[in-house]
Amino acid sequence: MKKQSFDQALQRLEEIVEQLESGQLGLEESLARFEEGVRISMFCQEELQKTDGKVSLLMKKMNGEMELLDFEA
Amino acid sequence: MKEFITVSALNEYIGALLEADPILQGIWVKGEISGFRLFQQSGHMYFTLKDGDAAVSCVMFRSRNQGLKFLPEDGMEVLLFGAVGIFSKQGRYQLYVENMQPFGAGALYLQLEKLKKELDQQGYFAMERKKPLPAMPHCVGVVTSQDGAALRDILKVIRQRCPSVRVVVAHSSVQGVDAPRELAAGIGSLNAYGQVDVIIVGRGGGSLEDLMAFNSREVVEAISLSVIPVISAVGHEVDVTLADLAADVRAATPTQAAQMAVPDQTVLRDQLHSINRQLTRAMQKNLRRQAEALDYLMMRRIWRDPGEFLEKRHRDLRQASQALIKAMQKNLQTRQHGLAMAVAGLDQLSPLKVMGRGYAILSHQQTIIKSIEQVSPGMQLKARLSDGQLVVEVKEKEKIAHEKTEF
Repeated sequence: MKKQSFDQALQRLEEIVEQLESGQLGLEESLARFEEGVRISMFCQEELQKTDGKVSLLMKKMNGEMELLDFEA
Repeated sequence: MKEFITVSALNEYIGALLEADPILQGIWVKGEISGFRLFQQSGHMYFTLKDGDAAVSCVMFRSRNQGLKFLPEDGMEVLLFGAVGIFSKQGRYQLYVENMQPFGAGALYLQLEKLKKELDQQGYFAMERKKPLPAMPHCVGVVTSQDGAALRDILKVIRQRCPSVRVVVAHSSVQGVDAPRELAAGIGSLNAYGQVDVIIVGRGGGSLEDLMAFNSREVVEAISLSVIPVISAVGHEVDVTLADLAADVRAATPTQAAQMAVPDQTVLRDQLHSINRQLTRAMQKNLRRQAEALDYLMMRRIWRDPGEFLEKRHRDLRQASQALIKAMQKNLQTRQHGLAMAVAGLDQLSPLKVMGRGYAILSHQQTIIKSIEQVSPGMQLKARLSDGQLVVEVKEKEKIAHEKTEF
């Protein structure tokens, strides 16, 4: 999963709905778009169901490298 | 009589001198307020600013004093900004006050205003530098004290609204001498780490002195250098820090910053549901439209009654073949007639026909006799008539001169 892909997915989904609503697509194309829309929608739903957000502390080591430590709020 | 001018002209001249001086037209003056009066009707403030043995009359008009966050009073040390002008009625100069700060805070304020102007001119606060916030961040970076209430507030809001979001905290002190450098380093580290989608920089509320780290050049520079969008969250409502001006988005409190940083998942879920409904509806409509187009085609007569269509074709075919036969017949007749005519013509030319009219063909030993030169008296000739032949004998010959009219 890439950064911000939820936004992009949602945006794409809106585009697809718009295209379908325009009534300009042929049967095969609209079916293809619909399939894509369903796929994107499932992806978005999965994203929303994730609850594994962790809290970490970003530390800079002496050698300049960065490391993440678990953070207890 | 000596040359003279009027008092009005004198005051006018002095007023013009004052107005022409750029220093006097925008000057900060420090002093202590005395004889403060606020006229209820006009809303204008009149007082004297003193220090040691010196004093200057001051006026702060209603339009200028409305923004004051404190009520001036006698004995108060203040820092004034304004322009020097002449009060012609009494022939004395006074300070027309534009801005007033309590001194102490005022000194800090002055310094702040100076830095603000400088940074503004360098473009740090320009609107076109502002980056949009991501609608659905996966990871939120926070630069604040790891022990502060601000961090607790931020984490609480994020847990409530969007539990899937990761949080990476870059600890920094938020006040004191090290705070500006540490805050800037935190922003830099999160950028170097690279995995966060948005950064919250902030702290809880405090006095102007407490918030000074957020008014530092280091922090402003770090915010504008950040490639990741920054939300400032300094807990104060009234004044705006320079960090707020430089940030892509300003939140009044850490809690509000967290609300801005992450979406409420229930809202997103609703949005997704509604877009899903739209998707299905649009698809159904599309299918219906295609089905209608098909129905329309199927309603055409050819599909309802193909027999009739074929019947017509048969009829057309029959008519065409009849026409063909007729044409052929006519053609044949024409040709037959032509033939008969030709035969009749031939018949006219037949020698038998000529003989039928009374002519005879004379021959002698298979040679047709065309001239008297070919015979001599006593020769026996054959005469062919239309219905038989005779054997005749030549008695004598006599030459006839041809007449022109005969053929």
